[in-house]
Amino acid sequence: MTVLGYLANGLVFSSIIVLGSIGLSLVYSIADFANFAHGDTMTIGAYTALVTFGAVGGLGGAVLGLPYGFFLALVVGIAVAAVVAVGTEKLIYEPLDVDSIGLLITSIGIAFIYRAVIQIRFGSGFTRFDIQPLRPIEWLVPYGVRVTLHDVAIVGSAAVLVVGLHVLLQYTDLGRKMRAMADNPDLARVSGIRTKRVKLWTWVIGAGLAGAGGVFLGLFNQLSPRMGFNLLLVIFAAVILGGIGSVYGAMAGGFLIGMINQLTPFFSNVVEALPIAPNWLETVLENLISIEYANAIAFVIMVLVLLVRPNGIAGEGAT
Amino acid sequence: MSPNSMDITDRRTLLKLTGGAGVAALSGCLSTTDDSEDGSDGSDGSDGSDGTDGENDTDGSDGDDGGDSTEPYQIGMVDSQTGSLSAFGERNQRGINLALQRVNEIGINGRELDIIVEDSESENQGGIAAAQKLVNQDGVPFLIGAVGSGVSLAIYESVVEGTDVVQLSQNSTGLNLTDFPGLLRMSPSGRSQSLALSNLITDDGYDEVAITYVNNDYGQSLTDAFVDAYDGEIAYNSPHDQEQQSYSGTVSEMNDSGADAWLFITYQAEFATMVNEVFSSGYEAQFYGADSVSGDNVLENTPEGSIDGMKIVVPSAPVEEENYQTFASDFESEYGRQPTSWAAYAYDCVINAALAIQAADEFTGAALQETVRRVSGPEGEEATSFEAASQILTDGGGPDDVDYQGVSGPIDFDENGDPVGYLQVLEVQDHAYEGIDFIEG
Repeated sequence: MTVLGYLANGLVFSSIIVLGSIGLSLVYSIADFANFAHGDTMTIGAYTALVTFGAVGGLGGAVLGLPYGFFLALVVGIAVAAVVAVGTEKLIYEPLDVDSIGLLITSIGIAFIYRAVIQIRFGSGFTRFDIQPLRPIEWLVPYGVRVTLHDVAIVGSAAVLVVGLHVLLQYTDLGRKMRAMADNPDLARVSGIRTKRVKLWTWVIGAGLAGAGGVFLGLFNQLSPRMGFNLLLVIFAAVILGGIGSVYGAMAGGFLIGMINQLTPFFSNVVEALPIAPNWLETVLENLISIEYANAIAFVIMVLVLLVRPNGIAGEGAT
Repeated sequence: MSPNSMDITDRRTLLKLTGGAGVAALSGCLSTTDDSEDGSDGSDGSDGSDGTDGENDTDGSDGDDGGDSTEPYQIGMVDSQTGSLSAFGERNQRGINLALQRVNEIGINGRELDIIVEDSESENQGGIAAAQKLVNQDGVPFLIGAVGSGVSLAIYESVVEGTDVVQLSQNSTGLNLTDFPGLLRMSPSGRSQSLALSNLITDDGYDEVAITYVNNDYGQSLTDAFVDAYDGEIAYNSPHDQEQQSYSGTVSEMNDSGADAWLFITYQAEFATMVNEVFSSGYEAQFYGADSVSGDNVLENTPEGSIDGMKIVVPSAPVEEENYQTFASDFESEYGRQPTSWAAYAYDCVINAALAIQAADEFTGAALQETVRRVSGPEGEEATSFEAASQILTDGGGPDDVDYQGVSGPIDFDENGDPVGYLQVLEVQDHAYEGIDFIEG
């Protein structure tokens, strides 16, 4: 496989992580706690889409190898993930009079509840969307790039959502209020911003993006009740690498972590090819830079970046 | 304090806490994961044999005299009635009940056989407690147990070892049980699966193979055994973690290795993910797999035709033999379903125990140790049912005059207490598993 091939794989995987990490960072910046239920919010989006897609079917035509019904299911998945998150905020997080650490622990409990509910309904096994899997796009194969139309759809949809969020944050009234609140909630409040309402919108956007990420994760791989939770650690790494609380940092962090994860085989090829001076060092590197440690390598790079920039890629800047 | 430094402190606290909480959450999950269920091996139950209360000062030989009593012979069984391996426990119980019917129709020296079943909860602790109750309170000289390899070993090390009690595991396939010759088992070791895969790949004419295995004791031990046995070149050999969201790196490296034969020793969900990635990357190879990669949910969740031609080796009863077919039809009329190999192993455990009791001079552990291997060992006249084997003994034959051929295979325990495994080769044809061959391990 060529560098281009690994980069293409990395881009697809990054898209999913970016969708997950934006929501996590957004909620952190405004609701002020690390939401451990975020991964399971992704799972909720995925399973909702599964049910919706099963109910509505293909709806005739298809675009990028995906039936129209799937896009409807995607929208429903996003909506339900948002509704569940807002409901949880209203019923649990808001009435709880605890600090951000208390909320963090609570969210771990919430994650277990989400997952248990999904397990009760769907069992603990795995399943897939009833969509015909595709072969790689043929004219790209000679370049060593082996992606399917579905992968293109994932990257494309993620790009649309990310650009949409950018426009929302920079050019709309809600976006300005959100940024103001992320910078200084008290000041935002005294200047007349209805912070509670902005907070709710933050939950809607964050959880909605997570839901979309979950649906794409299901399309990319498979659905299982632990799918989101298994990805959560990587998402946290992406968010912290980017600078927690910063949306653009989360995008960059998600992109980097996803790329590193998928580029590990390429790194190990490079290390093998390079004439590294002392032989023992080469042996050590060859053994360490190997696919089985892909996540560990991503985390080492995260630590290295944090040593140089303690506040993450996006620095001190919040949103 | 400036807002900026405040920010940094916050970040540190958060990093610490998320790290800690993450670890806590993950470790909390570990105990609730039910990795590979069904059809795979019993070896990944719980392991680590923490023999707590080592009060095993029993003399397992206080059985009632073998004489003229009409009391039933009592033996014990530790089974997974609850817990993560309870599916195996259910299968065992059906096999046990059927075997008891067969034995008690004829009787042993005019007496009946009775099995006291205790639950291991599929855990080491539960297994040890159950075995202690059976051995120390009920004084059984013969113990059938357990399902998970870790549980079987824990029982052996903390209850059975050092006594005369005979332990015969019904379903454990873990490779390390081979190191304990005193611990017998009816199901073949995973090692025979690795050997069979190695022969199969060689016979198909591949002199290069790429292997990926699940990063745990099960995957590692099967792969090590395979690498030892295989004469060709191992072009690629790398572990992968469970429950990853993408294995595209692994499959692309397997493809880059240039080997045409790919061997998967992993679980169903991981394998299904890999197949989908192989399919969507357009790679072609001849697949081979251990029994843990086969299952209906693999077929349901992979593209039609994507694994056609794949060959899988599974522990199996010799389903074409006449005695198995009699067993299967009896089983079906009794329970309305096809028997599994796991039920057949449990069935043979009981028959083997009954024959050992009949051949022994007295109903004690020491005497049963003498006979348990010999009644099904390769010497003697072959008998395919309890009735036939029991007849040979009644006619004055000794334990060496009878060779019970089990419904799960010829048994023939070797010096390590492992049976001659009987394995079936499955091939995926038209996206369904078809048996194509049988191998004696």
